Amino acid sequence: MTWTRSALLLTAGVLLGTTAACGGGTRTAGGAFDPNTCQGGTLRILNQKDAGSHLDPARLYTSGGGNIPSLLFRTLTTRNRAGGAEGAKVVPDLATDTGQANADATVWTYHLRDGLKFEDGTPITSQDVKYGIERSFAAELPGGAPYLHDWLVEAEDYQGPYKQPAGIPAIETPDARTIVFHLNSPHGDFPYLATATQFAPVPKAKDTGADYEKHPISSGPYKIDSYQKGKSLTLVRNENWSRQVDGNRLACPDRIEGSYGLDAAVINQRISTGSGEDANAVTTDTDLGPSELAQLDSNPELAKRVAKGGFPYTYYLAFDTTKAPFDNQKVREAFTYAVDRQSVVNAAGGSSLAYPATTFLPNNKSMGYQAFDYFPAGQNGDPAKAKQLLAEAGFPNGITVTLAHRSDNSNGDGPAIATAVQDAYKKAGITVNLQSVDAESYPQTVGNPATQPQVSIQGWGADWPSGGPFLVPIFDGRQYIASGGNFNTAHLNDPAVNAEIDQINKITDPAQAAQRWGALDAELGKKAVDVPLYHSTSLRLFGKNVRNAFVSDWTGVYDLSAVSVK
Amino acid sequence: MLGYVVRRLLGAIAVMLAMSAVVYVLFYLMPANPAQLVCGPKTCTADRLAMVEHSLGLDEPLYVQYWHFLSGLVVGRDFSSGPSVLHCPAPCLGYSFQYTEPVLDKILEALPVSLSIVIGAALLWLTFGIGAGVLSALRRGRWLDHAVNVVVLGGFAVPAFITSLLLLMVFCVYLQWLPFPSYVPFDEDPLGWAQNLVLPWIVLALVQLPPYVRLSRSGVLETLTEDHIRTARAYGLTERRVIGRHALRGALSPLITVAAADIAAVLTASMLTETAFGLPGLGRLMVQSVNQIDLPMVVGMTLLIGFVIVLCNAIADVLYAVVDRRVRVA
Repeated sequence: MTWTRSALLLTAGVLLGTTAACGGGTRTAGGAFDPNTCQGGTLRILNQKDAGSHLDPARLYTSGGGNIPSLLFRTLTTRNRAGGAEGAKVVPDLATDTGQANADATVWTYHLRDGLKFEDGTPITSQDVKYGIERSFAAELPGGAPYLHDWLVEAEDYQGPYKQPAGIPAIETPDARTIVFHLNSPHGDFPYLATATQFAPVPKAKDTGADYEKHPISSGPYKIDSYQKGKSLTLVRNENWSRQVDGNRLACPDRIEGSYGLDAAVINQRISTGSGEDANAVTTDTDLGPSELAQLDSNPELAKRVAKGGFPYTYYLAFDTTKAPFDNQKVREAFTYAVDRQSVVNAAGGSSLAYPATTFLPNNKSMGYQAFDYFPAGQNGDPAKAKQLLAEAGFPNGITVTLAHRSDNSNGDGPAIATAVQDAYKKAGITVNLQSVDAESYPQTVGNPATQPQVSIQGWGADWPSGGPFLVPIFDGRQYIASGGNFNTAHLNDPAVNAEIDQINKITDPAQAAQRWGALDAELGKKAVDVPLYHSTSLRLFGKNVRNAFVSDWTGVYDLSAVSVK
Repeated sequence: MLGYVVRRLLGAIAVMLAMSAVVYVLFYLMPANPAQLVCGPKTCTADRLAMVEHSLGLDEPLYVQYWHFLSGLVVGRDFSSGPSVLHCPAPCLGYSFQYTEPVLDKILEALPVSLSIVIGAALLWLTFGIGAGVLSALRRGRWLDHAVNVVVLGGFAVPAFITSLLLLMVFCVYLQWLPFPSYVPFDEDPLGWAQNLVLPWIVLALVQLPPYVRLSRSGVLETLTEDHIRTARAYGLTERRVIGRHALRGALSPLITVAAADIAAVLTASMLTETAFGLPGLGRLMVQSVNQIDLPMVVGMTLLIGFVIVLCNAIADVLYAVVDRRVRVA
């Protein structure tokens, strides 16, 4: 896709016209936004933390770093920069298209577009992309998503280019502009994966390993002027980038200055006050605090400067469906009927920050969301029905279980939610003993089958907006990992589910795949293999001068490559 | 005097080594695995985890890890960055998991920030604390004494993060007299340095103030009843001279011990203030390192905190002798 005037106008129209729906939407401040005259000014980023713990394309996780990595790293494909559901689509970035697959989606071929250059003016080649992927396998550069290890043919034992310079044979670069991936099984979602920063080109000559994050070589609209990890980041324009070679990023501000290590309350206070340079401020890691939330109804000016969305996320109760009592469908149904989702949503911060979940997939079209509620418990639960099911299952006098939760509330799976569940379950004759697990070790405790608690509060978000990464790690029997790092906490291994996953993985049309993922979610829902609790949303402020702060269904936040401060 | 210094120094080294050993053992016993955190948020398989543990040296037995740490202090250490080997020269406190930089560099980077905070704050709390204490001692039982009490206890009762936010709201948001604090090095812009730090100084001083007011008040009252004061008055010295030269000297010496401990604590552990104002000092670095299970950083910081506390106590001992002639350093 090349950037034409009409495309620009169309995008602007979409940005201005899209109405808020399903947690996504569009908001702009001030008057009409014109991408052709938006250039200039300095955008300020006020953050609590650095952009990802490492500003190295090999080490960033798919959802890490807010939008900042996308200002520096272009990838084979990228997310569409538009509001709402449009923004959940994959579009080409370095490549000329989103990828050409063979018949069973096991071989994917990409061609790089013309005129691509690094910040130092050297042309970007397919070997640079290959090298960027290979270095993400090195033990010195951990942190990235694991998909390539599992998907590429015979790559699981590859140790990275420093130990094995020969590289990964499953990635071919027949010429400087072509790159071919050989996968060990069909993956129709490959174009989504190619949006990850591991697909950003890295010039081998400039690779300094663990030190690369101090000045990663830019392929995007900005380059690093100065960077003090954990403190500040200043980006200036990359003269070797232009809109002619990038159809996605508007790159309006001339300069971007980030301050890290700020207090969340101070960030919100500064952006809402907007005095001086703070009028040009945004944040990529801080959601609205309680004091701003309380002001929204009475302060329309502030309310206009709130981007509503949220990274699609589901919180649920997880249990081992192969062990008593949860091997009994009636018990699982009773636990679903007994839950009071109204009080859970309140515990999660109220209806502006959460909405009740009866499906595992969040309410996003791109993921294949289909509405269902097979065990309708209303807003406040149905304890009578739960009691009846428990009696039928052989527990006429109720049942006692242990519910594990994280020791703090900051991740949405803490004591607030656990006590809300405990209170509701008491009415249904379910006695819940709470088990608080240290926040840092919680994922390890739950992810190791040897230490997995009887019931635990879990949260899950997908690495790209498709049903695949949302459902497969949780419900595919072959994804169960006995040694730890397991997400299939239901210990589900249903041949029919596994077979359907294999079938959908072969589909390369996102709309068709989404429909099937949604149907699979419904099938899983009927089995009550978990108890969906709530989906989280987020509200994020932007400065008085900031325009074009639309929210996509992919990231759930506004996009730095699109905003303007002019 | 030299013997005294050498003894203090050796004692300090022993204390610090013991502390580092304790921190290592505590981390070893902890349920969370730093390699897991470095490895990534999702699906870090056992194989991959083993690779990361190996590259961080976490697969070695505890005593070997600790030995590497000790020998690094003396001869330095080498770390693999992938394509090249990074050398961390002696005294090497290790290489941070999260920052991929030598621990000592990170500490030295944060030290000026914390020093800047402590210097101004200590100046404020010592001046106003002792001043208010002496004043309320001289006006004992009158309205000024009570007023000082109320103000000081009020300031102390409000947590630092609330005071911080209140001051930010008033001075940076409504009055806009001051910028939102960010650290400006003293040698770059002395005025900007002070402007950015004045609010943190006030917050810390408010928290630290009360013991000084109370101690100097009771110290002055106690000394005023002593014989040498009566003698001084009998000699016909002015009241100003009696208080300033004779009463204060005796009253202040216990404050030195308190001040040394407080300065050490503020220098290394003003976490709330540094976090509230977004200042990249040692306290904030410690909080971040603990949150990220960054073992080398935490061990290095612990050693530094131990060193600062031992150092401040030694300085206090010497000062004590200077102020109170009855004490001799031997």
